[in-house]
Amino acid sequence: MENPIVELKGVNHTFTMGMGQKLKVLSDIDFALYPDEIVALLGPSGSGKSTCLRIMAGLLKPSDGEVLVDGKRLDGANPWMSMVFQSYALLPWLTVFENVALGLEPHNLPKAEVRTRVKKAIDLVGLEGFEEAYPKELSGGMKQRVGVARALVMERPIICLDEPFSALDVLSAETLRAEILNIWLSKKTQTKSMVLVTHNITEAAAFAKRIFVMGTNPGHLRVSIKNDLPYPRDERSSGFKSLVNNIHDVITQAIIPDTPEWVPPALAGTSIETLPAVPLNELIGLLEFIAARGGQGDSFAISKELGKDFGQVLFLAKAAELLDFVDTPKNAIVLTDFGKRFIQGDVNVRKRVLHEALKQLKLSQLLEAKLREADHLALSIEIVLEHMREWLPNENAQAVLDTLIQWGRYGELFGYNDDTKEIYLDVGQENA
Amino acid sequence: MFSHHDQTSPEGTRREPMTMYRHPPHKRAFGWPDLLVLAVVAALIYGLMGLARQWVGGAHFFVNIDLAPSALPKYAFFSLMRAVAAYFLSLGFTFVYGYIAAKSKHTERVMIPMLDILQSIPVLGFLPGLVLGMIAVFPNNNVGLELACIIMIFTGQAWNMTFGFYQSLKSVPAELREVSRVIRLSWWEKVKFIELPFSAISLAWNSLMSMAGGWFFLTVCESFTLGSRRFQLPGIGSYMAAAIEQKNHRAEVYGVLAMCLVIIFCDFVIWRPVMTWVRKFQMEEIQEEVADLPFVTTLLRESWLVRRLKLIMKRRERRRNAPLGASAFQSGTTPAAGTTARLTYEIRSRMRRQKIFDTNLLDLLAKLGTPLTIVVCVWGGTRLWEAVRTLTPHDWRLIWGSVGLTLARVAFALVFGSLWAIPVGILIGLSPRLTRFFQPIIQVAASFPAPMLYPIVTAALLKSGLGFHWGSAVLMMLGAQWYVLFNVLAGAMGVTRDLKDSLKLIGVGGFTRWWRLYLPAAFPAMLTGWVTASGGAWNASIVAEYLQYEGGIMTAAGIGSMISKATDAGNFPMLAGCLAAMVITVVGLNSTFWRWLHDLAETRFRFER
Repeated sequence: MENPIVELKGVNHTFTMGMGQKLKVLSDIDFALYPDEIVALLGPSGSGKSTCLRIMAGLLKPSDGEVLVDGKRLDGANPWMSMVFQSYALLPWLTVFENVALGLEPHNLPKAEVRTRVKKAIDLVGLEGFEEAYPKELSGGMKQRVGVARALVMERPIICLDEPFSALDVLSAETLRAEILNIWLSKKTQTKSMVLVTHNITEAAAFAKRIFVMGTNPGHLRVSIKNDLPYPRDERSSGFKSLVNNIHDVITQAIIPDTPEWVPPALAGTSIETLPAVPLNELIGLLEFIAARGGQGDSFAISKELGKDFGQVLFLAKAAELLDFVDTPKNAIVLTDFGKRFIQGDVNVRKRVLHEALKQLKLSQLLEAKLREADHLALSIEIVLEHMREWLPNENAQAVLDTLIQWGRYGELFGYNDDTKEIYLDVGQENA
Repeated sequence: MFSHHDQTSPEGTRREPMTMYRHPPHKRAFGWPDLLVLAVVAALIYGLMGLARQWVGGAHFFVNIDLAPSALPKYAFFSLMRAVAAYFLSLGFTFVYGYIAAKSKHTERVMIPMLDILQSIPVLGFLPGLVLGMIAVFPNNNVGLELACIIMIFTGQAWNMTFGFYQSLKSVPAELREVSRVIRLSWWEKVKFIELPFSAISLAWNSLMSMAGGWFFLTVCESFTLGSRRFQLPGIGSYMAAAIEQKNHRAEVYGVLAMCLVIIFCDFVIWRPVMTWVRKFQMEEIQEEVADLPFVTTLLRESWLVRRLKLIMKRRERRRNAPLGASAFQSGTTPAAGTTARLTYEIRSRMRRQKIFDTNLLDLLAKLGTPLTIVVCVWGGTRLWEAVRTLTPHDWRLIWGSVGLTLARVAFALVFGSLWAIPVGILIGLSPRLTRFFQPIIQVAASFPAPMLYPIVTAALLKSGLGFHWGSAVLMMLGAQWYVLFNVLAGAMGVTRDLKDSLKLIGVGGFTRWWRLYLPAAFPAMLTGWVTASGGAWNASIVAEYLQYEGGIMTAAGIGSMISKATDAGNFPMLAGCLAAMVITVVGLNSTFWRWLHDLAETRFRFER
């Protein structure tokens, strides 16, 4: 096998937040990119895939570990890479032509040469005739074509694609995806390899020869899946479908495992489950959807029908399972009796059921106990946050607390007063 | 139309992003925060008593200033109270003028252009007439002189606030207006629940700007000469004037330090808490990270006394709202039975009240307002015409020549101020760490009234051999440069990480990166800075071209010195001619040159949201 062109060795990264707080976003990443391949980093938001990409590109220095480009240690921006951004990163005051030409700026080429090279790149992405247009006159799909043309004109061996299709509508995304793949397959350009960052499974399966599934808290490479399907890939072929299912299984096992993670007996009574940060209305929406389809469904089918990201549906299912509203055997989501009671009731019944469900959660039990100890049943948000960090040292305490407050408000268990910045115990139900 | 009043968000954003929540306030019973609150209240009462004595304790049009540093707190307090009084006057004016202009289509057409003109008028030119008039009304005490000073400060504060408020009222989203109609909010409820909250952020930002502008006028108005008469009110501006007159350099330093302290004090005690508070009126949900809470907010939140007071107020409010079942709604439970009848009653009585207020009051205001404005305009116009008619063509040549000279100085001040302010502003704005450190400092510097430094800087300029002709342009730059710096900094903060990353990866560095990315990205903010700075420079010309310096007067030819000279000589036709020429120039520049740049910035250089 050839030598890797880019390599990450034992990379860790930690962000320093305000007030000296540290958040670990990447843990022990070992990764290699070889010539003539497309690799996808697939994972939910917060899995550090964009951070990983920026470290490869030399835009971010990792806290620990090293980046090798062609066997040599990388220092500063990676001269082998160009990048396409989700936000396009175009300069609004330059025309399409000038934006693409910006990619050649450091070379100080003669004008005629710049012209031919920019023309070629613009032709490749199908933007002929738009050279004099300004970015704001273009649709999202066209803007991203300018972004791609700018990456191509630089003629570097690697192109990084950072969620390049996420901001586009479905049709534009699909067209552009096929075109980028065609450009790479045609070998008309200097591009040898590409790294795609995405949270879309089909996208990864259509593009990549190797798919790295990333996990969260902190971000890590969970598993690597080989994809030897020949290009161009047919999404309706059985091979493609079984690959997608395979990826689904991997992700499902990661998010809602059938066998609970093993916990040391000494800690068994004390382990605290975190809350996935999902909005309550979406959770209720999912439950209603399942209830309307006879009380169960396949998680992938549901995500397709809802037009929602698969990972997001899994997080919703995980939250519902935590509240005992659903069971998740294999890839299925099945409404429990408790969940049925919740979803069939009116608002007041739902509030009561959620109240009961929350009372069973270890985390809300702990918080309730703390609030009962407190003066007038209320605690300032900072104190609660500190407890949260103690109880869930590996989590983003802020996000968990936001979720807990949202659920607690609906279930009338907790309340939050933004004027006093206090979380209080809602004792309305006890008095009634 | 677009000059000083669009300091709402992005260019104005100054608070530094950090984390969502702040340090834990450890709630305690009665303790040091309460003592501090009590001490402040006591000091305020004592100070106000002194203020009352100064106002009505007999006429002292010229107060001898005590240059001992121990007298400074008293002077600073008097000055601060003048600025605060003027601010509340401005606020009242803003509400009335802005509301009528926004609500009545007829008056709007007259009121808004008039506001634009008022904003470009060098108000300092009116000081003498105002002072003499006020003293004639209150000959036996200092009320007249104090009021004249306060009104002068008011004229430096009110316009941009009014513009901001008017624009907020005009931009209340249609849905909100429809909602208020559907639930039949009364006139007052609409103001209270929709219009005031909606305009809170713009009002707070413009208030901050106005207070800063107010200091400029304050220092000029506290001590001045009218022909052979001298007027001096006890205050920090007079202290500085006296120090310079007596060449007491130590006192000059004390004066500057005291002014800085007052500005920092206002920033800490008033503006930071206010800015934190208005954030809750933000309409869009921006993922904005919030800085640590300002000290005073924490203090008020921690004080046992204040918390008690709040609790009592809240209980009273709850009792008042009880019939509507509002508290039940707020706590999220369903309203208790029996409230429906009360609700119906409440709605009916609301409908009655609404009729009286909503239609009649506004109509009345509009009906009264339109003719009144027209009468004032016609009267003012004829008076001006009568005055100006006596001017000879030679006078006019002189006037327009002077306008040209001052225009050159304004341009000089902007160009040379920008030469350092733009690169420095961008450098600071690109680094969150530097921004966190420098932004409050720049804000204080921008608020500092430059005229206090004029004599000191003039001494240095004369020593360096640069004549006063260009030296006065340097004086104008002194105040103007900060607006450019401040706005460019805010503009540079808006350059996204993706943009920086993409150029870094391409390998575009150094000068090209500045030319291609940073400068164009900061351009819209830069423009806001220039417009504000040029407005300030025109106004400053009246002091900067005609400076009382070590007993004598330094003059540089220009429209500012001409206005001051005409004022001193009581030459009303000349004064009117000069003011008219200056207004025409400033308004003309605003609606041509700046308008053109503004449109360019909006169409080409704005990032899409």
